[in-house]
Amino acid sequence: MFKLKVSDAKLLRDMATAISILVDEATFKIEPDGMKLRAMDPSRVAMIDFEWPKTIFEEYECAEPTKMCINISELLKLLRRAGKDEAVELSLDEKTGRLQVKITGKYNRNFTMPTLEASEEEVPTPKINFNVKAKTTTQGLSQAIEDAQLVSDHVRIEADSEKLILNASGDLMGATITLQKGSDTLLDLEAKENSKATFSLSYLTEIIKAASATSDIATLEFSTDMPIRIDFQQTKEGKLTFFLAPRIETE
Amino acid sequence: MGVNLRDIVPKTHVKLEDLAGKTIAIDAYNALYQFLAIIRQPDGTPLKDSTGNVTSHLSGLLYRTINLIELGIKPIYVFDGTPPVLKHETIERRQQIKIEAAIHLEKAIAKGDITKARMLAQATTTLKDYMKQDAHMLLNLMGLPWVQAPSEGEAQAAHMTKRGDADYTASQDYDSLLFGAPKLVRNVTISGRRKLPSKNIYIDVIPEVITLNDTLKTCEITHQQLIDIAILVGTDFNPDGIKGLGPKTALKLIKQYGTLENALPYIKNAEFPHPPQSIREIFLHPQVTNDYKLEWREPDAEGIVNFLVRKKDFSEDRVRKAIEKMQQGAQKLKGKTTLEKWFG
Repeated sequence: MFKLKVSDAKLLRDMATAISILVDEATFKIEPDGMKLRAMDPSRVAMIDFEWPKTIFEEYECAEPTKMCINISELLKLLRRAGKDEAVELSLDEKTGRLQVKITGKYNRNFTMPTLEASEEEVPTPKINFNVKAKTTTQGLSQAIEDAQLVSDHVRIEADSEKLILNASGDLMGATITLQKGSDTLLDLEAKENSKATFSLSYLTEIIKAASATSDIATLEFSTDMPIRIDFQQTKEGKLTFFLAPRIETE
Repeated sequence: MGVNLRDIVPKTHVKLEDLAGKTIAIDAYNALYQFLAIIRQPDGTPLKDSTGNVTSHLSGLLYRTINLIELGIKPIYVFDGTPPVLKHETIERRQQIKIEAAIHLEKAIAKGDITKARMLAQATTTLKDYMKQDAHMLLNLMGLPWVQAPSEGEAQAAHMTKRGDADYTASQDYDSLLFGAPKLVRNVTISGRRKLPSKNIYIDVIPEVITLNDTLKTCEITHQQLIDIAILVGTDFNPDGIKGLGPKTALKLIKQYGTLENALPYIKNAEFPHPPQSIREIFLHPQVTNDYKLEWREPDAEGIVNFLVRKKDFSEDRVRKAIEKMQQGAQKLKGKTTLEKWFG
């Protein structure tokens, strides 16, 4: 059983939006030290790894670890009703098994919603040795991905020690987007060896768009033909990381 | 057909798209029977070529399979071999039902009762040897792997899923779970809109995934106990089960007494055509083989056209469009990976 209060509803709403990109039914682990979620999308191409330590919350009560599964888009509908600087409190009604969503601010709203059967699946961390680590502004990354999306539905991300290149080629048009190390967009770049991997733009766009509301700095890690790890640095403590499986060109 | 465990099995609805990139071992007879039953004219007449041979199974196999491939799903068809001896009674009984249905069908046609004729025609569905050969031929031309099971196709498909050669077993029957399939997906080959039998209502048939682990966890039982429950309810090897005993009661009994043997003294009218232990044995240790090769090749477009259009009187236009869809699907499949590959 638990009771969690977030002083700014926007924080919770942006987090729920990021999760809703990949899953419909989200199973949260609510533990004495914080709240966690790790899940893959149904086609198992992408994964989200999310953690909020208890310090993010204005109030955090959790005596023993609890799993709670909810329909995330239904929760989002409720959170969208909360205005700026309104607080949200989530608690589980032991008797009914329903989640109570209390929004307080200009006036008080008390919603309840059903909880679902929690997923038993424990999603492991992909085992990858990353050769490239690139730190970008989330906004710059978002722009570069939007450029690529004009011409194709997938993008090849390449790096050497000097630059990060996004290469997209569609049926008719092509695009090459270069981010130089030390530029306003590419803040840092380490490449143990030159690497390149191709990813679906529909996943990348959605993930980056949703996560950019929560983060200004994104760290990309990848290796040739391996999944990419994108970590969105959170303004408060907390973790929002995505993994995305590559497309492997066989020719 | 198959055991009725629907009431106690937890299922998750999925979209066919969610299975993209997955390999699915399809119970071929189960699928072909469905095609033969469903793909018919309003009065129940199956599709036929100019020589009078039925082609409903080929139509289903081509178009339905291509629907899967277009989404990036990799199918393997698994064909039944020699049925276990214990199944003879069930098979005889099914034949009897078909003979009776055929007699009623003639009457219905004579009376001009089309609705009834369609129902009865579906009940007469039989899978002839030439249909099986047709299916092998078409799958070879489509470049898709098929596996000959030594005995039950479902058992072989479950075995291949257990070995990791397939991600899912596809069948309408829950028997796959009894054979130990870790993941079963239903409604794969027939998803979409479908008319309810004898009613003028259409429903959406949505694929559903059932995992053995979740089933055992939710019911708080072991695999062997699940088999014991099925035997009480009725399987292909004792189709009647125990009169008046449904899955929920069977679950309660097995949980209370632990095993079938311990539960039997407390059950009225507990009769079996074969010792229940021998039925259990078939599910626990089915006859399966590791002797198979899985290869997905480029489809032989001209070969398919030659076979289906020239020999089986399919529309060339439709067949060529379908092949095109299949080639696009194969393209999509080429580069796609899932994160599971890196879980080690």
